[in-house]
Amino acid sequence: MSSPDLVNTIRKYSSRYSIYLVLAAMIVISSIISPVFLSTLNITNISRQISITTILAFGATILIIAGLLDLSAGSVLALAGVLSVASYKATGSLALAMAVGLAVGVVCNIVNGIIVTRFNTPPFIATLAMQTVARGAALQYTSGQNIYQIGNYVVFGQSSVGPIPTPVLFMVGIGVVTWYLLRHTRLGRSLYAIGGNAEAARASGINVNAVKMKAYLINGVFVGIAGVLFMSRVNAGLPNAGIMAEFEAMTSAIIGGTSFSGGIGTASGTLAGAFIMGILNNIMNLMRVQSYMQQIVRGAIIALAVCYDIYSKKKREARKLGSRVKSEFQPGQA
Amino acid sequence: MKKLIGVALAFLVCCSFLTAAVGVAGAQEKVYRIAYIARAQGDSFAAWLANAIRDEVARNYPDVRVDVFDGQSRNEVITAHIENAVVNRYDLILLQPLDSEAQVAPAMAAMDAGVKVVTVNNRINDNDRAPAVDADPVEQAARNARLAREQVPQNGRVVVLMGPAGNMHSDMRRVGWQKEFFDHRPDVVILDEQIANWNKDEAMRFMEDWILTYGKIDAIISMNDNMAAGALEATKAAGISDILAYGVDGTAEACLLIRDGVMTSTTLQSAYELAEKAVGLAYDILTGKKEHEIIMVDCPLITQENVEEYIEVHRRAGNIQ
Repeated sequence: MSSPDLVNTIRKYSSRYSIYLVLAAMIVISSIISPVFLSTLNITNISRQISITTILAFGATILIIAGLLDLSAGSVLALAGVLSVASYKATGSLALAMAVGLAVGVVCNIVNGIIVTRFNTPPFIATLAMQTVARGAALQYTSGQNIYQIGNYVVFGQSSVGPIPTPVLFMVGIGVVTWYLLRHTRLGRSLYAIGGNAEAARASGINVNAVKMKAYLINGVFVGIAGVLFMSRVNAGLPNAGIMAEFEAMTSAIIGGTSFSGGIGTASGTLAGAFIMGILNNIMNLMRVQSYMQQIVRGAIIALAVCYDIYSKKKREARKLGSRVKSEFQPGQA
Repeated sequence: MKKLIGVALAFLVCCSFLTAAVGVAGAQEKVYRIAYIARAQGDSFAAWLANAIRDEVARNYPDVRVDVFDGQSRNEVITAHIENAVVNRYDLILLQPLDSEAQVAPAMAAMDAGVKVVTVNNRINDNDRAPAVDADPVEQAARNARLAREQVPQNGRVVVLMGPAGNMHSDMRRVGWQKEFFDHRPDVVILDEQIANWNKDEAMRFMEDWILTYGKIDAIISMNDNMAAGALEATKAAGISDILAYGVDGTAEACLLIRDGVMTSTTLQSAYELAEKAVGLAYDILTGKKEHEIIMVDCPLITQENVEEYIEVHRRAGNIQ
C-alpha cells in the first residue's frame, strides 16, 4: 500500500470509528490518572451505573434513527416502576411485576405512537404531553410518596449472575436485540429509510406509520424494563425517578454517532456513547471533581458531540455531492 | 321549533340549578378558603406535607376548604399561584416557600391586597411580617452532629451528601454540621462532598465510587434521609456494615433502617406536626383569634433507642405496613 493510500485508509477508519477511539483514549487517560479505574470492581460499577440509561438510550437510538424522539422516557420509567413495585407488593409475583412494568411502558408508547402517526403531531409535542401525564400519574398514584419495603423485588436490580450484575445483563441483551434489529431486519432498514427521507421511503412502499408505531412499541418495552430495574436497584418505588433521564439517554445516543436528523446511528455506537458518559461521571467522582464543575464538563461534552455530529454530517453530504457532481460531469459528457 | 323548546328547557334547568346552588350556599355557614401552595408535589417531603395538610383540614376543620397548588420547584410558578389565589379571592394563602427571597414580593402584594399569608416549612425574608410555622434546619443537623461528635472515630473519614445547589434547607443543615461537628473535630477528614439533589439513586452512585476510591469510610453525613438511604444501598451491596450514617427528615425508610441498625440517626421534620400547627395558625388568623405568630416546631433526634415510637407514627399514617 502506498503512503497516500495508507493515510486515506487511516483517515477513513478513524472517521468511521472515531467514537471508539475517543472511548479508548478516555480509558487510557482515566487509568493513568486513577489507579483504581481499571479494577474489576470499578468496571462493574460503571457498567451497573450506566445500564438503565443505556437501555433507554437503545430505545432513543431506534426512535432518532427513524426521525422520532421520546421526551416521556423518564416519566414513563417512573410510572412503570411504581406500578410494577405496587403490583409486586400486592401479589408477591415477580413475573407479574415485570409484566406490569412492560405493559405500562408499551401502553404509554402506543399512545405516543398513535398521537404521532394518526394526528401527525410532532414527536416533540406528543411525547412532551406524555411526559407530563405519566409523571402526574406516578405522583397521583403514590400521592407523591416513595414506596418502601419492597422485599424480594430488589432481585432484578441488585443481584448478579456470576460476576455480572443483572442490570448489565439486561443492558447487553437489549443491546444485542437493538443491533440485530437495526442491522439484520427489514424493520431496521425501514427505520433508516424513514429517518433519511420519509417521503422517499413512503414512495418505495414502506408503511411509514406502521414502522413508526413499531419503533415506539419497542421503545416502550425498553422503558418498561428500565423502570423495573431502576426501582429494584434503589430498593424503593420512587415517583420522581428518572427526571431528565430521556436527555441522558439521547445524549448517549448522539455522542455515539446517532444523527439527530435521522437515518444514521448504531447500537454499538450508542453503547460507546453511554460508556463515554459513564466513564466521564465515574472519573470525575474518583478525582473528586466538584459538583458544579462536573456539570460544566458534562455540558461541554454534549455541545462537542452535537457539533461533531453536525460537522460530520455536513462533510459526508459534501463528499456525496462532490462524487455526484464528478459522475455527472465526466470529461466528454458535458 | 323543537330546537327552540329544547334550548328554553335547558336554560330553565340551568337557572333552577343556579338558584338552588345560591340558596344552599347562602344558607350555609361561612366556609374559609385556603390556597395551599406547595413547593413541589414531586418532592417527597413536600408531597408528604401537602397530604398532611389536606388530611388535617378534612379531619378537624369542617368549615375550611383547602386547594393544593403545585409550585413545581419553580419560583415563577409559585408567584403565579400566589397571584391567582389573590384574583380568586382565597381567604388565606398557606405558602411553602421555595426561595426565601423570591417569594417576598408576591407574598407582600397578596397581603397588601387583603389576602392573609402564612408560611410553612420555610420562611420568607420579610422581617417577620408573615406568620410562619417552621423547623430550624440548623438545629435539625446540629442534633445529629452532636451525636456524631461522640461516635465518629479519631481521624475519621467521612463523605458529605448535599441537597440541590442553593437550597436553603440543605445549606443551613450543612451550617449545623459545620458548627457542631467539623469545627469541633478538626481531625476528621472530608473525603468528598457532592450534590446528590436529595435523590436516592444519585447518592447511591456517588457512594459506589467513593467506596472504591477511598476504601475505609467511617461516616455518611447526609442532608436528608433519602440520600443517606441511597448511600447505604451501596454499602450493603459492597458488604460494608460498620459505617455510621446520619440524615434529616425522619422518613419511614430512615426509621426502618435505624431500627435495623443500618442507619445511625436522623432528626424528625414531622410533616404531621407542621401541618397541624400551620392549619391551626391559619384558622386562628382567619377567625380573628390571632393576628400574628411565629411557631418553631421541634426536631427530635431519632436513634435506635426511640425509633419504635416514630415507626408507630408512620404505621398509623399508613407509611409502614
